[in-house]
Amino acid sequence: MAVAALQLGRILCAGSRGLRGFASAVRPAASRGGPRLASRSERPIRRKALPPRTEKMDVDQDWPSVYPVAAPFKPSAVPLPVRMGYPVKKGVPMAKEGNLELLKIPNFLHLTPVAIKRHCEALKDFCTEWPAALDSDEKCEKHFPIEIDTADYVSSGPSVRNPKARVVTLRVKLSSLNLDNHAKKKLIKLVGERYCKTTDVLSITTDRCPLKRQNYDYALYLLTVLYHESWKTEEWEKNKTEADMEEYVWENSSSEKNVLQTLLQIRAADSSGAPSREELLGTKEVEDYQKCVVRLKNEGENEESLAQYKESVKRLLNLECSLN
Amino acid sequence: MAARAACAAVCRRLGQELGSLSVNGSKSSTAQAGGLLLSSVKRAPSSSLHIDVPKDLIKPTITTSDEPDTLYKRLSILVKAHDKAVLDSYEYFAVLAAKELGISIDVHEPPRKMERLTLLKSVHIFKKHRVQYEMRTLYRRFELKHLTGCTANVYLEYIQRNLPEGVAMEVTKTQIQQLPEHIKEPMWEALTKEEDSKS
Repeated sequence: MAVAALQLGRILCAGSRGLRGFASAVRPAASRGGPRLASRSERPIRRKALPPRTEKMDVDQDWPSVYPVAAPFKPSAVPLPVRMGYPVKKGVPMAKEGNLELLKIPNFLHLTPVAIKRHCEALKDFCTEWPAALDSDEKCEKHFPIEIDTADYVSSGPSVRNPKARVVTLRVKLSSLNLDNHAKKKLIKLVGERYCKTTDVLSITTDRCPLKRQNYDYALYLLTVLYHESWKTEEWEKNKTEADMEEYVWENSSSEKNVLQTLLQIRAADSSGAPSREELLGTKEVEDYQKCVVRLKNEGENEESLAQYKESVKRLLNLECSLN
Repeated sequence: MAARAACAAVCRRLGQELGSLSVNGSKSSTAQAGGLLLSSVKRAPSSSLHIDVPKDLIKPTITTSDEPDTLYKRLSILVKAHDKAVLDSYEYFAVLAAKELGISIDVHEPPRKMERLTLLKSVHIFKKHRVQYEMRTLYRRFELKHLTGCTANVYLEYIQRNLPEGVAMEVTKTQIQQLPEHIKEPMWEALTKEEDSKS
């Protein structure tokens, strides 16, 4: 009875602890029994394999306690009949016991929906709500015009660092900045390629500093400098020629001179009175012609603008002919 | 009867020596208990193989500060791996986590990239016999919209801590900000006023 109890005790201890110290402590007690045999008692006593834990598992057990963190696949702890591996001819994939394929692949046994929900319940306290007033992109644009793009990289390798992580891109719409006409044109000339005309977005990309924070500060500094410099008017800006202009301006252009010259000649030939230039400029036909020319030059040539130009020229030179 | 008593005694000693929750341990390791007690009583799991998390864990205190939270218009997460199954599982995890935390998420799968090499099979000569290798990189992109800085940090830390081995991630954040004070007005008028007042 006592021996049986001791045996049971030994099995239990060995099975659940598995510590050699414990087994060695128990061993002298066992060898007390029979005569000392060289083969049997000196060899460490072989434990009998216990049934796997899966047999004691319940269907409605708490699975996150079995796999609380990422752990390798333990076939004795996972109660699923998983098979993995390429089968031999007329065979099936290998079973889970001693299967290296199941050990190699990352498993998500610690991230079951129950576990994820529990984690998120605990994490919810650290989250904040997005302000309800900023529900659309336009509102975000209106109140927060500057957009900063940064990147982070996570990978496994000899080094944690990634040199691409220090790049910072600052994007802002010029319509949200306080600029007048001259300042806007000067700013566009200063930045050159960084301005996109179709979307009216200025993007400044910096990566010359070693840290992301420094690059962000530098980008803001560049924006500040550009803004303030564009409001200044330098001496040499007075020498801006027609070739430097961004859009067509009718005043003091060759088209204006030609029109006025032609009209003056016509009026001088027809009647005696030579009207002054200002009077001619003020007439409706000349203004109309001005608008058409500006539209043609700025927007390019298309059906409507050309037709409009034709009409305005006919009206200017009194070439309207009525079709009878 | 006696055996059972002895067994219980051994188990109790075990429990004491382990230093774990001895009362529960002794109850649970008796083979005869089976699964009867499991459903009714919420207690430590049946095996005493791993250390249990103490039940009265002190929750980390939440500190709030006065500085305004950063706002992220968009968070774009690109995940790269060699296995489609791993990416599928990770996508399920990320989407569920985002839904639980109340973040709007969009997933799509950019096309995979294959890098192929052709090398000589033999160490010396045999130019006609080659061997070909390929490296497959599969992608998954998660687009999150309208996050605050705190939420983004929490979500990203959770996602990144549970990133499986052999998977890489790139996160692109688009932060929105107000115009800084020094860009509201050009400074030249203020400068001239100062000069006038000084002179």
